[in-house]
Amino acid sequence: MIDSYIPIFIIFVFAVGFGIVMVKFSSLFGPSRPNKEKLSTYESGIDPVGTAHERFSIKFYMVAVLFILFDIEVVFLYPWAAAFLNFEPVKMVYSFISVIVFIIILLVGYLYVIKKGALKWD
Amino acid sequence: MTIDQFLLMKNEILLIAIAVIVLIIDLMTDNKKILFPVMIILFIFTTVIGFIYQTDGELFGGMYRSTPLINMMKNILNTGVLIILLQSAGWLINKAENHENIGGFCFILISSLAGMCFMISSGDFLMFYLGLELATIPIAALVAYEKMKFLSAEAGTKFILSAVLSSGILLYGISILYGTNGSILFKDLNNSVEITNLQALAFIFILSGIAFKISLVPFHLWTADVYEGAPVNITSFLSSISKAASVFILLILLFTVFINFSEIWNELLVYLSILTMTIGNLFAIRQQNLKRFLAFSSIAQAGFIPLGFIGGTSLGASTVLYFLLIYVFSNLGAFGVVSVVTSATGKESMNDYNGFYKTNRGLSIVMMLSLFSLAGIPPVAGFFSKFFLFTIAAKQGYYFLLFIAVINATISLYYYLLVVKAMFINENEQPIEKITSDVYAKLGLAICVLGIVFTGLFGIIFDYINTLSKGI
Repeated sequence: MIDSYIPIFIIFVFAVGFGIVMVKFSSLFGPSRPNKEKLSTYESGIDPVGTAHERFSIKFYMVAVLFILFDIEVVFLYPWAAAFLNFEPVKMVYSFISVIVFIIILLVGYLYVIKKGALKWD
Repeated sequence: MTIDQFLLMKNEILLIAIAVIVLIIDLMTDNKKILFPVMIILFIFTTVIGFIYQTDGELFGGMYRSTPLINMMKNILNTGVLIILLQSAGWLINKAENHENIGGFCFILISSLAGMCFMISSGDFLMFYLGLELATIPIAALVAYEKMKFLSAEAGTKFILSAVLSSGILLYGISILYGTNGSILFKDLNNSVEITNLQALAFIFILSGIAFKISLVPFHLWTADVYEGAPVNITSFLSSISKAASVFILLILLFTVFINFSEIWNELLVYLSILTMTIGNLFAIRQQNLKRFLAFSSIAQAGFIPLGFIGGTSLGASTVLYFLLIYVFSNLGAFGVVSVVTSATGKESMNDYNGFYKTNRGLSIVMMLSLFSLAGIPPVAGFFSKFFLFTIAAKQGYYFLLFIAVINATISLYYYLLVVKAMFINENEQPIEKITSDVYAKLGLAICVLGIVFTGLFGIIFDYINTLSKGI
């Protein structure tokens, strides 16, 4: 059984070797002319300010989590919407009702989010 | 797909409906106290429907299945959550800082229960995993519910980290099983699973993932800290309902999908059982905090459950169900008293209970009955459930395991009686004052006492479970 894993092992060795060889070769043979700008942290051309380990406000996380939630809702709706016209009539009604229930549940969640003030920024 | 088939999911649909209704009421009113009685009535309705309307069949190409036995499991969980909701009324309604959160608390608790129901009636590892996560993630929120308390927040973090680890291990096992069999449907796996090294590894991963949730030793290390930090009602939820749900799905998996592996899991469960009983008991003796004490006692109790799995008989399955039914009642009874006392006085230490009987007769008698039932003293139900488990192990010829289990039952008697002694015999200058508990808590404790006293006396309940478990 072990024999069949040998190709995977070879790929593994090759991948690690390739990475090391590429990095080593470019640092060995490439030109190296460092200056102050090149050696500083890359911040899209702007001088870096402070450390990266700052505390963020919880509001960012709230918005991000809620965005993912409602984004996934759309992801679920797309395949249904694309397949809707190909259904037989009975199935159309069933699937329509199911999706309406799904959206109502999410709507209640959305209203709850607004009422609890999770989207308030100040 | 017709309406009848949707009725198979009646329990889950009703639970989700209640959860949404709770949210809507929470949005509409400012007086959150109205919400609680409405939700209790709806929940009692769901629980009663579960007992009356039996379903049998499968949905979505076998991804969801429902049998009378699974119905019974859901009924046990529903009853347990009903008791917990009744017990948490005091904590939610009497404390002003919790008023805002009544809706959220009930919503999260009920959606966790819905996840457990989906998990139990899954016919597919995908559905099983979704249900497991729907059950676990809300619990993490509940554990950290008193977010201003340091211990509660710490417990929440510990819980979510250990839950992530166990889910990861479980998923790894499932993926290996899929890789070797090409299917994750229980029906297909039933025929194709066979003992090879890789599949045995997958089985062990899945078993350890579930053992995390049941907190069998050596997967128990998160238990004590999380149980201590969480609010009392959530501790009781974790130690009875969550544990029972995980045991149910383990039972279904072992008896259907992994029945070919029975020689492996018989041996494994013997060792897990011995370790869990012994270590749980030895740690429980030393505890002074009553919540922590009940946490370790629940680990020790979980150690007795694998006795019923041994041999893979349907009688064993019904014994496990019966044990858990009684365990839910007695554990919730003990936690109910602790919850009433904690929300009234804030005292959790065992020494505070000295002389408890002089001031609070009713509560101390409920506590005594629950502890007697947990210890397994004859007139109450706990004796019968433990005795039946022992007979299953004896019938299969595991006498060494039986010997260890009996010794552990005796050790556990010592520390349960220590609490009873503190309440009834020890003197105290300043005992806990007379507590008048609210209607909800009284109703919850009354259900527990009825369960503890009558489940053991009427053999018909065991016979009923036994007829159901033929068609697992």
